[in-house]
Amino acid sequence: MNATDPIRRSTDVHRLLDDAFAGVELTPEVQDLKEEIRDNLLSRVAELEASGIESSDAARRAMNELGDVRALVDDDATTPMPVRVESASAAALRNRVRPNPGFVVRTVLLSIVAAAALVVLVLALLGVLSLGTGMLTAIAAVFGVALGIVTADALRQETTANHPLPAGRAVAFGVSTGLLLAGLAFTATVILRLDLAWLILSGLLVVAAIAALSYLGATQTNRHKPWVVVEQRATTVANRFDEDPAAAARFGIYTAAIWTVAFVVAVVLGFTVGWWWAPVALVAGFVAMLVTLARMLFGADARRT
Amino acid sequence: MIDNIADEAFAADLLRGHTDTIVLGVLRRHDSYGFEIYKSIREATGGAYEIKEATLYASYRRLVRDGLAEAYWGDESQGGRRKYYRITDAGRAAFRTNVATWVATRGIIDDLLGTTVPASTKGNRA
Repeated sequence: MNATDPIRRSTDVHRLLDDAFAGVELTPEVQDLKEEIRDNLLSRVAELEASGIESSDAARRAMNELGDVRALVDDDATTPMPVRVESASAAALRNRVRPNPGFVVRTVLLSIVAAAALVVLVLALLGVLSLGTGMLTAIAAVFGVALGIVTADALRQETTANHPLPAGRAVAFGVSTGLLLAGLAFTATVILRLDLAWLILSGLLVVAAIAALSYLGATQTNRHKPWVVVEQRATTVANRFDEDPAAAARFGIYTAAIWTVAFVVAVVLGFTVGWWWAPVALVAGFVAMLVTLARMLFGADARRT
Repeated sequence: MIDNIADEAFAADLLRGHTDTIVLGVLRRHDSYGFEIYKSIREATGGAYEIKEATLYASYRRLVRDGLAEAYWGDESQGGRRKYYRITDAGRAAFRTNVATWVATRGIIDDLLGTTVPASTKGNRA
């Protein structure tokens, strides 16, 4: 019953749960409890939704029914479990993820399809192959769809470090990525083959995809596995986005701004200097995004700004 | 909270006092996860009474701590893993003991209250 539940798309449960556990020290036991509660809450919300209750109301109601999480955690802290001898690495070994051959085959085949589409597109645009514009648009779409599916599929795979993303979010990431790539491929086709007025359509596609990706990135919740969190805490410096969700949201907005500017500059460059220079703006946008990411995550002065 | 309970057709606090045994009773049939156990209890009481889920989580942890149940994460590929509970042999023994204790206690209370009628054990309002 849990695979196709529409509520798996909802972020409400994840948010409410994060709120309920805000300020609680995330020991492995607490992380474990949180993941257990998450699954049960999603099942309850699905049940409420099936009875006709609206998604966010269902999430709130399920959370209220749960009772006082903090009392449960406090109670647990005061009456500790008998010594749990299992180390984080032992837990990781016990809960290791089995290889999924189907996923590997799907990814390889779809990547080949995407690569072939890209090669054909480039050859046609360079004039080596003679293909119609409609065909090129279709190839751009195939390129986007193939990589979009690869993205969604990958996010649905449980890894040794992370639980799989809820189906709805994974699909949203896949669709946005596919849209972005198809939009970019289509933009190249427009520039070389079509009336430049079509740039408005390709621009809308790209900006919409970037906006969707920014939203998804900014609303992402932390779902690391308990034993991974323990190991990470011992071995790595803290990730700013984990500690400060507002910074993650800010990064999402910066990213949307950077890409919007990059796209506009690309179009302006195309019309003024020449279309061969247009990609420079996109590359600059990508570099700006990476620099912003690095500064926000690890910058020495990130906390002072 | 106590006032609300007084309105119920049965003593919720009495029921809550047997949470661990009730959970063991559900697990005796098959391995189960939190929400499924919660639903079993809700359905068994005709939906009239739900043990608070927080109470149930406390019970699961007590059962695991006391070795009466084991917890394990299922490897479902959809939407994250699910934590299941399995009754242990010690849990089965504890269940049998608790049920025997309950039956004996019920008999004594029935005798004391003069309610020794088989139908009265269903918990319906007389």
